Amino acid sequence: MAQVLGILRTPSATAGAVRELRGAGFEKLEVYSPCPSHEIEHALDRGPSRVRIYTLVGCLTGVTLAYLMQIWMAYDWPLVIGGKPFASIPAYTIIGFEMNILFGGVLTVAGLLIHGFFLTSRRDHSAYQPSFSGDDFGCVVDCHDDQVGRVREILGEAGCAEVRVVSA
Amino acid sequence: MAAATEPLPASPDAINDDILRVLEPPSKTYVLGVLFCGALVACGVSAFLYQVYWGFGVTGLNHPVMWGLYITTFVFWVGIAHAGTLISAILFLFRAKWRNAVNRGAEALTVFSVLTAALFPLLHLGRAWKFYFILPYPNQRGLWVNFKSPLLWDVFAIGTYTIISILFFIVGLIPDIGAARDRVRDWRRHLYRVLAMGWRGTSEQWRAHSRSVLHLSGLATPLVLSVHSVVSWDFATSVVPGWHTTIFAPYFVAGAIFSGIAMVITILIPVRQAFGLQAYLRDVHFDNMGKLILITSSIVGYAYGMEYFMAWYSANPYEQMSFWYRGFGHYWWATWTMIICNVIVPLPLWFKRMRVNLAFMWIVSIFINIGMWFERFVIIMTSLSHEYDPAAWGYYFPSWVEWTILVASVAFVLFLFLIFLRMFPVIAIQEVKELHYEEAH
Repeated sequence: MAQVLGILRTPSATAGAVRELRGAGFEKLEVYSPCPSHEIEHALDRGPSRVRIYTLVGCLTGVTLAYLMQIWMAYDWPLVIGGKPFASIPAYTIIGFEMNILFGGVLTVAGLLIHGFFLTSRRDHSAYQPSFSGDDFGCVVDCHDDQVGRVREILGEAGCAEVRVVSA
Repeated sequence: MAAATEPLPASPDAINDDILRVLEPPSKTYVLGVLFCGALVACGVSAFLYQVYWGFGVTGLNHPVMWGLYITTFVFWVGIAHAGTLISAILFLFRAKWRNAVNRGAEALTVFSVLTAALFPLLHLGRAWKFYFILPYPNQRGLWVNFKSPLLWDVFAIGTYTIISILFFIVGLIPDIGAARDRVRDWRRHLYRVLAMGWRGTSEQWRAHSRSVLHLSGLATPLVLSVHSVVSWDFATSVVPGWHTTIFAPYFVAGAIFSGIAMVITILIPVRQAFGLQAYLRDVHFDNMGKLILITSSIVGYAYGMEYFMAWYSANPYEQMSFWYRGFGHYWWATWTMIICNVIVPLPLWFKRMRVNLAFMWIVSIFINIGMWFERFVIIMTSLSHEYDPAAWGYYFPSWVEWTILVASVAFVLFLFLIFLRMFPVIAIQEVKELHYEEAH
C-alpha cells in the first residue's frame, strides 16, 4: 500500500480533488484543512456526525434525572404545606431545563472527544505538516502501489500545488 | 446585520501570523498592567479576609437592606457574561458572519465574568466556607435543599452556565491551539501540543467539531435566556414593591446583553489598538455591536418607563411609593445615573458616524458599564430600604470593604483577560479563515 499526498490551496480545489478521486474509485481518503468547509464535507459525503446522538441522549438523561432527583428528595424529606402534594412539578421544570442543557452540553463535548480524537488517534498521520493549520489543504490517498501514477495524475489535474508519495 | 464587506488580509497564512503575533513576548506596559491588576486583586482578597475575621459588621449591610453591593455586583457580572454567548451562539445560529472576529474575545469575557460572578454569592454568605450547603448532597440529617426556591434555581442556572460556557470556549479554541502549536517556538509549544490533543484538522475532526459547535450553540441559546431570567426571579418571585413584576425576566435579559456588549467594546477597542488588529476588528463589527447596544438600550429604557407606568396604573400605594422613592428618595442620584447612562448616553449611536467612531464608542461603553451596575444597585437598594412598613425603613451605603471587593472584581476579570491574551489566540483563526474562503469564493 502507498500513501500519496496532494497539497491544495483552496477548499473548492480540495473538494474538486476529493470528488475526482472518489469518482475514480479511491475511497480511502483523508483531508487536512485549516478551517471547516461545507464543500469538502459534501464532497466526502460521510453523513452527519454521530455527535448528535450524544446530545440527544445527554438532554434526555439530564431532564429525566433532574425530575427524578427533585421528586425523590421531596418525598425523602416531606414538607407538609397546606395539604399540597410534596412534589411540585411546575417548580421543578426550571432545574429540569438546566440539567437538560448541562447533560446535553457535556455529552456533546464527550461525543466530540470520542469521535474527533480518541477513535481517530491511532490512524497514521505521518503525512500531516504544520502548513495544514496555515493556508494549505492536504489530501491523502491510500492506494495500491500500482495505482500511485493514476492518483498523482488526478491530484495534478485537480490543481495540487505539490504531489508526493509519503509512504510506499 | 450586514456581512463584513471590507477586505481581509490577502493570504490565510497572514491571518495566522497576524493573530498569533499577539502571543509573542509581552511589552513592559502589558507586564505593568498584569501586576497592577494583580495588586488590586490582592487588595480584594485582603478585604475579604478582613471581613471573614471581623464578621459581616464590616459591610454596610444591616436591617432592612440585607442584599447590598455583593448581590448587585453578582447580577452585574452575570449580565456581562451574556455577551459571549449572544455573540457566539445566538449570532452563530442566525448566521451573522461578522461575529467571527469578535466571538473569541467575547467568549473569554463570558467565562471570566461568570467565574467572577459566582464568587459574589459566596462573599455574601456570612460563612463562605459553608457554601456547599446549597448543593443537594447526602448528609447525616437526611435533609435536602428546597427545589422550589429561586435561589436554588440560580445555583443550577449559574452552575450550568459556567460549565457550558467553559466547554463552548474550549471547543472553539482547540483548532486554534493546533495552529499555535504549529507556529509558536518557545516553551508554550509543549503546552499547546498537550492542549490540542492531537488536533490535525482532519475531515473527521472538523465534522465532529462543526456538529458540536452547532449543538452547543443550540443548547446555549435557550440557556443564556434562562440564566438571567432565573436571576430576575430571585427578585420577581418575592412580594417586594418594585420587584414583583412579570417584566423582570425579559428586562433582565435585555439589560444583560446590553451590558455584556458594552463590556466587549470596552475591552476589544484597546486590544485592537494595542496589537494592531485593525484588519480583523473592523468598523463593521463596532457598527453592528452599536446597533445591538441601541436595540437593547431601547428595551431597557422601555422597561424603566413601563415600571413607572405599571406602578401608577396598578393603583397600589406600596408600588407607587416604591417608585416615587426610586426617582426622588435617598437614592435619586443612583437612579438618575442609571437613566442617563443607559438611555440618554447611547442615543447618538442612532447615527452610523458615531457607531464607527471608536473613541466615542469606547466612552459610551464605559458609561453603560457604570449605568448597568447602578441599575442593579437601584433595583436592590430602593426596594429593600423602603418596603411596606415605615418603621422598618432604612438606608444602605456600601463600606470600604465592599467597594474594595468591587474594584478587585473588575481587576480580576481584566487580570484573567490579560493572561488569556498572551496564552491563546484572541481572534478565532479558523472562523476568520472560513469567512475569508467564503468571500473569495
